[in-house]
Amino acid sequence: MTEYAIDIVNVTKRYAEHTAVRDLTLRVPSGSVYGLLGPNGAGKTTTIRMILNIIAPDSGTIHIFGRPSSDPKITERLGYLPEERGLYRKMQVKRVLKFLAELKGVKGSEAEVRIDEWLERLSLKTPEKDWGLSKVDELSRGMQQKVQFIGTLLHDPDLVILDEPFSGLDPINAQALKDTVVELKKRGKTVIFSTHLMDNAERLCDSVCIIARGEKVLDGTVTAVKEEHGQRNIALALEGDGMHGIASILSDNSLVKRADDSNRFFEIELVPGGDPQALLRRIVESGASVQRFEMIQPSLHEIFLQKVGAGARAPRAGAGAGGIEEGMTGHG
Amino acid sequence: MAKLWAIIKREYLERVRSKWFVIATLFGPIFFSAIIIVPAWLSSRSKATSDIYNTAILDATGNGFGHRLALNIAGDSTIPGRMPEVRVIAPAALTQAESLATHQVMQKDKTGYVVVDQQTLAGESARYAGRNATSIADMAQIKSAIRETILASRLEKVGLDNSRMREITFIPLDFSTERITEKGRAGSGMASVMFGFAIGFLLYASIVIYGQTIMSGVLEEKTTRVAEVVMSSVPTDTLLAGKVLGVGAVGLTQQIIWIVTTYILLQLRAPIMAKLGAPTMSFTLPDISLGAGMIFLLFFLFGFIFYSSLFAAVGSSVNSESEARQAASPLMIMIVSTAVFIQPVLLNPTGTTARVLSLVPFSSPIIMPIRMAVIGIPPLELAASLGFLAIGCLVALWLASRIYRVGLLMYGKRPSMREMARWVTYAR
Repeated sequence: MTEYAIDIVNVTKRYAEHTAVRDLTLRVPSGSVYGLLGPNGAGKTTTIRMILNIIAPDSGTIHIFGRPSSDPKITERLGYLPEERGLYRKMQVKRVLKFLAELKGVKGSEAEVRIDEWLERLSLKTPEKDWGLSKVDELSRGMQQKVQFIGTLLHDPDLVILDEPFSGLDPINAQALKDTVVELKKRGKTVIFSTHLMDNAERLCDSVCIIARGEKVLDGTVTAVKEEHGQRNIALALEGDGMHGIASILSDNSLVKRADDSNRFFEIELVPGGDPQALLRRIVESGASVQRFEMIQPSLHEIFLQKVGAGARAPRAGAGAGGIEEGMTGHG
Repeated sequence: MAKLWAIIKREYLERVRSKWFVIATLFGPIFFSAIIIVPAWLSSRSKATSDIYNTAILDATGNGFGHRLALNIAGDSTIPGRMPEVRVIAPAALTQAESLATHQVMQKDKTGYVVVDQQTLAGESARYAGRNATSIADMAQIKSAIRETILASRLEKVGLDNSRMREITFIPLDFSTERITEKGRAGSGMASVMFGFAIGFLLYASIVIYGQTIMSGVLEEKTTRVAEVVMSSVPTDTLLAGKVLGVGAVGLTQQIIWIVTTYILLQLRAPIMAKLGAPTMSFTLPDISLGAGMIFLLFFLFGFIFYSSLFAAVGSSVNSESEARQAASPLMIMIVSTAVFIQPVLLNPTGTTARVLSLVPFSSPIIMPIRMAVIGIPPLELAASLGFLAIGCLVALWLASRIYRVGLLMYGKRPSMREMARWVTYAR
C-alpha cells in the first residue's frame, strides 16, 4: 500500500474566465482525516472533482492509491458526497441506493443486503416503517441526507470524499456524520472533506490544507500548522498577589517578546525560538506559586483569517472575504 | 459494461413503471382504433342503415304487394327484426292506420312507414313518412325496392310464373367503387398511404416525446445534482449512452405494444364494425418483408439516437424546464418542419423534395420510411440515406457528449451558443 491516498502534483485547471486551481501540490496520507479548507470559490470543489476524475486537470498529475485517477478501478474505491445534495426524487429509496451501488461495481444481491443493514443502522427501517420502500420525495430532508450518506458509503470505499458535508445538516445528522468519520478512520479508511467551518476541521482533521484563489496557502498536520503559523502564547496566572515578583523575568527581552496583562492572567508572547520551559523554570525559581501555565494555541479559525482573510482583503479577490464571513457566521 | 447496463436498466424500469407510460401505452391503441373505426363508421352512415328494417308497410293494395315489398327491402331475409312489418289495411281504414303508425313513430316504436295502394300498383305514387326521411341512402333503397316490386307484379300479370320472375328480377349487384385522381387509381394505394402516414406519425411522435423525456431526465439529474454522484462513478459518455439506450428501449417497447395491439384490433375490426351495424370494408395492410422491417427499425434507432443525444445536450446546458423549452426550440423546429413535409412527400414520393429530405440526416429518419411505405426505393438511395444518417448520428453524439459533460457541471446563467461552442473544445 502506498503512503499517500491522494497525491496531487503541480495540478492546474483553467476555465475561459479564470484559473480555478493553480499549480496545486497536495498529499493526503493514507488512513488520515484530511480537511480541505478555503473560502467559497477557492477551488475546493474543482480540486475534488479532479480527484474524482469528473473533470481532468489541464496540467499536472493526480494519483489515487498510487494509480492514475482516470483508472476505472480506482473510482470504485472512492465514495463521494457532493456539496449540493439530491437524489432521483420519484424513485424508491432502495432502488436509488441499489443503482448507486451498482455504479460502484457492487452486485445487486449484495447491495440489497447492505442497504437493509444501513437503513436499520440509521433508523430508516424500523419494525413499524420501512422508509426504504418509500419514494425519495416522501422523505424529510434529514432522512434524504441519511440516504445520501448511505449512497456514499454503501460500496465500502477506501477513500471517502465529502464536499461541505456539514452544510445544511441538522445537529443530529451532523453528529452522526462526525461519528461516521471517526469510525471510518478507525477502520483504516481515508476521509477528505472540504469545509469552511474551522471548528469541525480542527476537531476532526489530522491534517489540513488551506487553499485560496486556487492556490495552496499552507498545509500539514493540524499540530504542525498551528506550531508553524500561530504565535506561541502562554497564559500565566499566579496565586495571590505574586505578579510583581516576576516583573523582571517578563521584561527579559531575550526570552519574552511581549507580555500582555489580560486582567485574570498574563498573555505572554515568547521571542522566536524562546523555550516556554525555561520561562516556567525561572518563574518557579523566583518563588512564585503558579496557578496556571498554559500554552495557548491559536485556533485554525485565527490562522485561516490571518492567512486568507488578510489576503482576501487585497483588491484581487474581494469576493473571497465575503465568503469567509458568511462561512464563519453561517452553519454550525 | 455492467455500469452501462445499470444505467440502461434504471432508465428503462423507472419509466416503464411510471403511470404515464401505462396510460400512454393504453391510450395509443384506443386512439389508433378510433382513427380506423370512426371514419369507416361515419362513411357507413351514407349507406342504408338497419333503420329501414324497423318500418311498417301499410298495404292498401289488397293483393299482397306489401309482403313482396317487405321481402325486397329485407333483401330476401325473413329473420324477424330484419324485415319490415306488413299491415294489410282496407283502403277505407287507411287514414286511421296512418295516424296509428305516426303515433308509433313518434313513440320511437317504429322508424317510419310506407303507404302502398292502387296508385302504387299503377306505378304512380307511394309515400314514406318517418324519422329517417332525410337519409338519402335509406330512401333510395326503399324507393328501389318499391320499383322492383312493381316490376315483379307487372311481370306476374303478363304470365311469368313465380320462379321465372324471381330469376329475372333478382339482381344481387355488388357495386364496387374506386376513385381515380390525377395520380391514377387511388383505391388500392390508399392502404399504403395510410400505412406510410401511420409510420411517419409514429416516428415523429416518438422522437418528440422521448427526445423531450431524455431532456427532462438529464435536467433532473443536473438540478438534483445526482449527475455529480453518477459522474464520479462512470464516464459521462457511458451515462449519455445509457440514457439514450434506456429511453430508446422504452420507446421501442411502447411502439411494439402499439403495433401489436393495433394489428389485433385490425383483425377484430370486422366483428366490431358489425356490432356497430356498419358494413365491413376489406382492409389489407401492405406486405412488409422482414428486410424492410429491419430497415424501418434502423431508421427509428438512428433517428432516435440523432435527436435524443441533441436533446440530452440541451438538457445538460440549462437549469430549468422553461429554459429547456426555449433552448430546445431549434431542435423542435427541425422536427416539426420535417413533419410538415409528411403529406407533400406522401403525395409525391418521387419528387425532388422527397428525395432531398430523405438524404438529410435530420429529416431522413421520418421521410425515408414514409417513402418506403408507398414506393420502392432504389437500394443505392436507401444506402446513401442510411449512410448519411449514421454519419449524422456520430457527429450529433460527438457534439452532444462534449456539451453534456461540461454542461452538467455548469450552473448559473444559460450559456450562449458561443459559449456552448467553446465547451465543445474543452478538454474535459
